[in-house]
Amino acid sequence: MKNNKTARSYLVNTLVIAAAFILFQVLTGLFGSEGDFKLVLVPSLWQCCYLILLAASLNLVLGFLGQLSLGHCGFMAIGAYTAALISLACERAGVFTDKAGLVYILIIFGCIIAAGLLAAVTGLLVGIPALRLKGDYLAIITLGFGMIIVNVINNLPFCGQDGLSQGSAAASLYKTGLGFGSKAKVTYLWIALVVTILCLTLMFMFVRSKYGRAIRAIKDDEIAASASGINVSSYKVLTFTYSAFFAGVAGALYACANSSLSTSSFAFTNAGILNSTFVVVMVVLGGMGSLTGSIVAAVIMFFVNYQIANGSWVAALPPFLNGVFKYPMLVYAVVLVIVIIFRPRGIFGTYEFSLTRLPEDVKKARARRAAAKAERKEAVSHG
Amino acid sequence: MKKLFCLLLALCMVLSLAACGGSASSGSSAPAADSGEEAPASAASGDTLKIGVISPNTGNLAAYGTGIHTGAELAVEEINAAGGILGQQVELVELDDRADPTECLNAFNNLVSQGIGLIIGSATSGATSAITGPANEEEVVIIAPTATADSITTEDDYIFRVCYADSAQGAIAAAYAKTAGFDKVGIVYCAGDVYSSGLKDSFSAACAEQGIEVVATESSAALTTTEYTNQFTAMVNAGVDFVYAPYYYDVIGPYVIPQARAAGYDGVIMGADGYDTTPDYVREADAPAFNNIYWTNHYFAGDTSEKVTSFVAAYKDKFGSEPSAFGATGYDSVYVYKAAIEAAGSADPAAVRDALADTSTVYECVSGTFSFDVSGTPVKGAPVITFKDNGDGTIGMELVDVVEASDLA
Repeated sequence: MKNNKTARSYLVNTLVIAAAFILFQVLTGLFGSEGDFKLVLVPSLWQCCYLILLAASLNLVLGFLGQLSLGHCGFMAIGAYTAALISLACERAGVFTDKAGLVYILIIFGCIIAAGLLAAVTGLLVGIPALRLKGDYLAIITLGFGMIIVNVINNLPFCGQDGLSQGSAAASLYKTGLGFGSKAKVTYLWIALVVTILCLTLMFMFVRSKYGRAIRAIKDDEIAASASGINVSSYKVLTFTYSAFFAGVAGALYACANSSLSTSSFAFTNAGILNSTFVVVMVVLGGMGSLTGSIVAAVIMFFVNYQIANGSWVAALPPFLNGVFKYPMLVYAVVLVIVIIFRPRGIFGTYEFSLTRLPEDVKKARARRAAAKAERKEAVSHG
Repeated sequence: MKKLFCLLLALCMVLSLAACGGSASSGSSAPAADSGEEAPASAASGDTLKIGVISPNTGNLAAYGTGIHTGAELAVEEINAAGGILGQQVELVELDDRADPTECLNAFNNLVSQGIGLIIGSATSGATSAITGPANEEEVVIIAPTATADSITTEDDYIFRVCYADSAQGAIAAAYAKTAGFDKVGIVYCAGDVYSSGLKDSFSAACAEQGIEVVATESSAALTTTEYTNQFTAMVNAGVDFVYAPYYYDVIGPYVIPQARAAGYDGVIMGADGYDTTPDYVREADAPAFNNIYWTNHYFAGDTSEKVTSFVAAYKDKFGSEPSAFGATGYDSVYVYKAAIEAAGSADPAAVRDALADTSTVYECVSGTFSFDVSGTPVKGAPVITFKDNGDGTIGMELVDVVEASDLA
């Protein structure tokens, strides 16, 4: 009976995703050459894809395992540079000459997988000693890792300051490697979508599996979990490694989307929204322990950030309101404070969206609201 | 009720922030106050000529962006007052990239989707490199005010800049050594830094071309090194009177120069644009050591040429502060566009690109008189500035010489 239900929900999800994907491809075919679609929507989708992957993968460690990691962008940097260097090497070795065709697509997927694997190996190496520590100490180790990896990349002769090209600027990536221009971004948008959906599926499956239950037990009470036979440290390292893999994949997508790499993009903090601190913010905002929440929060953060920098309505505001947007960090802070006041567990808490459960959830939410209303009425009448 | 109260409080906070933001920008000398002016213009911009400006207006490098967009605004105001370009009023569309490559690309895509084909930006090489490829693909012209990495202009056809490339600055220093009559020089540089070692490479290459002999080369390991006595003792022993020492202001002021003088080295010490703002980092007791120090910069605010004095006066008049080198290059970028559009006879990006690619055109700018080389980088000299001890524990600056492009090998 239970197996039947799982199989049915897999089928429903696969069908819906496939239908949405085909619809999207048709739309892309229709509007692919239009200015705004090509220049605004598609690049935004690319950025959303890697931000979603990054936030969701951190949620595995932060939300489900309950360990604070402040160096998540370090894994992304490893992924980005790995993918970029492999693609450059392939191009220089003459494996592909023009950026099209089956070979090129295979290389892109190869780069993405290699990026994930190297990030995972690094995650394993960092995780084994680091996860023996708890709480603040782990946070400091991961923070240190994030900073060290940036410096290491800067000083590696073949990738940092003057490897991918001269200076920290890597313009050559666009020309020769897997950096996509505006048109290529439209053509290969499906890669970003497929990779994101696949990775999210893998993460959902992980969370629902016995491993997921084990790490949630560890989060709730480490001693109790250990007493019931869960090998705490190996589960911690496993989750950390698994999470690092997807951060590496996010890095590869970043390399595709950006056509130039600079280590400042993967720092602990910077002026943008892609840094280790903001990933933590996204996870907290969306709800620790809800992958749905991470997805929504990543999209919201991207949207807010994009609108502050590029929205025409911001420029049209009266100057005194416009002043707020001169300090974008304050806007994020206010958003975060408001969310924490009204929803202390994040937007979604631990709720996960599910297509098959959607009708039930809606019914339940209605019932809850009606009950709350009735209660309030009663309270008033008893006055 | 409680929730409503919270919401009200949050709203109050936002509004007070807004008020802070507004008053801070209008009250201080920071010239951000008038960015609201551009907004209404976009509604009625049927005939205006739009130029996009991408600069880091917020974030760590906000000072760079402020310089660039205020410089550009000043130039546009002057041009509009004088009748515009080809009879069209010019309008700037300013976007912020926070010195981040992704944000820079977003801003670029936004400008292109608005149909803007002429863009000024951005300040840093890292951010600018994210848009050079796409600009070539979209056939949009970019003039970078201060992105100095060599690779910025070499890869693509549509990219130009008004500053010299990193590699040219060493050549300018070598040319100055030649004119000043030194034929034996020494180098002290930081081996662990790209800026410093890059300048050392270009300086020694240019010395070879100019026929200057580099008799001693010493290095330090990191930019944070605070001990330079041994390096300068070696310079004294080698008997040189001219040492090229490309470092940043934070070690030049407190360590390099006082220690060099203490080690008995009395000759010339020459540096690059990293020496800018050094006087703020000198201890009072060290001030007498600051003689015979020379360095190259993008422009000199105290320059007495008519072009510079009128620019500095106009900038001070409008924004109340002395323009930085970024202000000068932002200002120049707009005037280079003006010259190119007028030469092309239209503001069509491809035509403007062709006009800019004409290497024989000479642009007379605040940051020097120059023409572009084939890659789109100016062939120009630089002002050589010297520090002088004011006698009261402070350091002054004086323009010594302007190295012209024709002096370069």
